[in-house]
Amino acid sequence: MRMDLTLNGRPAQWEAAPGATLLAVLRDEGLVAAKRGCETGDCGACTVLLDGQPVNSCVVAAARAHGHRVTTLEGLADDPLMRRLQDALVEHAGVQCGYCSPGMLVSLYHLLRACRAEGTRPGDHAIREALSGNLCRCTGYVKPVAAAAAVAAALAGIPATGTEAR
Amino acid sequence: MWDLKEYRIAGSPGEAVAMMRRGPGKGVYIAGGTDLFLFPPQCDYAVDINHAGLGAIARTPDGDVFVGAAATLHHIATNPFVTGYAGGLLAQAAAHCGNRPVRSTATLGGNLCNALPSADLAPALLALDAVCYIVDEDSQESLPLEDFFEGPRRTVLGDRLLAGIALPAAGAGWRAAARRLTRSAEDIALVQVAVALSVADGRLGAVRIALGSVAPVPMRAMLAEAQLEGEAVADLSPDRLADAGLIAASECDPIDDHRASAAYRRQMVGVLTRRLLAGLLAEQPRNDDQGSAA
Ligand SMILES: Cc1cc2nc3c(=O)[nH]c(=O)nc-3n(C[C@H](O)[C@H](O)[C@H](O)COP(=O)(O)OP(=O)(O)OC[C@H]3O[C@@H](n4cnc5c(N)ncnc54)[C@H](O)[C@@H]3O)c2cc1C
Ligand code: FES
Ligand code: FES
Repeated sequence: MRMDLTLNGRPAQWEAAPGATLLAVLRDEGLVAAKRGCETGDCGACTVLLDGQPVNSCVVAAARAHGHRVTTLEGLADDPLMRRLQDALVEHAGVQCGYCSPGMLVSLYHLLRACRAEGTRPGDHAIREALSGNLCRCTGYVKPVAAAAAVAAALAGIPATGTEAR
Repeated sequence: MWDLKEYRIAGSPGEAVAMMRRGPGKGVYIAGGTDLFLFPPQCDYAVDINHAGLGAIARTPDGDVFVGAAATLHHIATNPFVTGYAGGLLAQAAAHCGNRPVRSTATLGGNLCNALPSADLAPALLALDAVCYIVDEDSQESLPLEDFFEGPRRTVLGDRLLAGIALPAAGAGWRAAARRLTRSAEDIALVQVAVALSVADGRLGAVRIALGSVAPVPMRAMLAEAQLEGEAVADLSPDRLADAGLIAASECDPIDDHRASAAYRRQMVGVLTRRLLAGLLAEQPRNDDQGSAA
């Protein structure tokens, strides 16, 4: 079936099988930041934003994108908030094999972007809740949480200019 | 890969039912898809209800809280009408489902229409006297949620659509609490108990005890409820609450499986019911405690 959507801030057309998942189509389109992990909605390696909300793209129909906004890690690559999160994850040694990292970054980006808009600062509980759908089999969670807390502490100074801001 | 021939997007509830009946072949409604993509059924087409105007949560003029079938679990967990109704029991049940990204897409309708004995919204909704609204092509029917489930993965729907549920205005001020036992945080429940009650002038008004994962369908322990309704709170000794728990345990019909034995589940129904009742009775009276009759 044919779909018209906004993909990473730009209009896009997809031709996809009616039963395809969002993850399958993204990867066929060459957007491979979202990973195939469990494909059962448990691990979060496939996390992307659908209309600004984090979703597990392995359990979402591609057809849901028709008329909607899909944002992947690729689309956030130049966003100052995402860059800070990426740097912080590396600085805090929150990355080992990296398979979970794209999903974690999208989840954390969603949380911190909302907090910046509200003018709030998330505590560890909110950060852990945001990461509740992201499993990491290497690093664990202490370092990614510390990385997010470090970015959260400097949130007000990070400009909102990315794809999702438009 | 789900081998669908067609994905239909319905613009209204009536259109969804018409699309379901149009054929050719077999169809299935899809909302969040968080269940369907895990266990894709053999069928020819899916009818998407996310654009059918069923995503809203609203307070009706009568004071009921209406939750549309396509409302997401995240929406339910955070909506002020739901968090403010009966101690936020339903909001908490929604917040405990799955993980944050799953709750962005998983819906109320999918949770109930799956009709799993362990569906996490069911005990909370049963304890709150939820009424379901079912739509046909050009008619509507409402019935108590107790009558909605027919067996594991079986409901009264047939090819009709669940439009949503209403939480009656009368229960808005009820005290309510729930417990859910699992092996690990993300595993499906072994036992779920939800209790809601009203207190007026030192007496219990309505009492609702709802159980999940301990019978073929989510259920109410009506004999235990009847033991308590109308009783003076001062007369409810720990022994009487324990007795109510034992009665609830006798009403359920659990099975042995790899998660837990039937005997353990039954015993936990008694323990959790007693503890929840005791906790709710110990709550300080609130302004919004309402003396609505059972
Ligand atoms: C990782 C993960 C964790 C989960 N954790 C939990 C949990 O903790 N607790 C829990 O209870 N569940 C859990 N689930 C199961 C599932 O996500 C929920 O039950 C969810 O609410 C289903 O909603 P959905 O909209 O995604 O359903 P869908 O997959 O879209 O539909 C499920 C079924 O309901 C039917 N249906 C949907 N809406 C309607 C309607 N309005 N009228 C008629 N039929 C309809 C569909 O045809 C289908 O048969 C989890 C799932 C995943 C993937
Ligand atoms: S691949 Fe989607 S949640 Fe694991
Ligand atoms: S770094 Fe390997 S899974 Fe997280």
